Amino acid sequence: VVPGETALAFYKAKNPTDKPIIGISTYNVIPFEAGQYFNKIQCFCFEEQRLNPQEEVDMPVFFYIDPEFAEDPKMAKVDLITLSYTFFEAKEGQKLALPGYQ
Amino acid sequence: MSTAMNFGTKSFKPRPPDKGAFPLDHFGECSAFKERFMECLRQSGYESGACRQRAMAYLECRMERQVGVRPRPGGGGGVQLMANEPLEKLGFKDLIDEKSEAKPEK
Repeated sequence: VVPGETALAFYKAKNPTDKPIIGISTYNVIPFEAGQYFNKIQCFCFEEQRLNPQEEVDMPVFFYIDPEFAEDPKMAKVDLITLSYTFFEAKEGQKLALPGYQ
Repeated sequence: MSTAMNFGTKSFKPRPPDKGAFPLDHFGECSAFKERFMECLRQSGYESGACRQRAMAYLECRMERQVGVRPRPGGGGGVQLMANEPLEKLGFKDLIDEKSEAKPEK
């Protein structure tokens, strides 16, 4: 991935149970300092997503790395940025900390 | 995701996506496009730049079908998959310019 160039990535999720699950996901970026340069244009996170029993679905993320990443001396040794998602089962009334979202 | 027991350490602050949530393609209507994109990635050694044409094709598929769009709970209109966003603004301007240049003259 080149900083400044938009890129598409896919994750896959499966609900192995026999009941529908409604989940919300949040993400994490490693190394921590690279997170400020990671810009999501569109992704499946922060919204409730429903998976029916046995359903398997592709989950896309459309993003770019801020071109300023290439100018930051602290990032000079960083050639691998890992994006991970954690799914939580949405419980009624549960809200994840959504910074200024909605 | 930060539980505040580590006062000294920085905690990661998630930011919401610029254009909101990507609705899921529950019926796999654009799976073929996704497969072609993934095939390209595998063949190119996971060079994202080499597969932008197919990434654009996938996004075009989703936008055309408005696949997976459902009304936001509590009203407020449907979730738009970048409906009014032209592909040029999503980083594909060079590919679109190429396409129009490649059109044969009639």
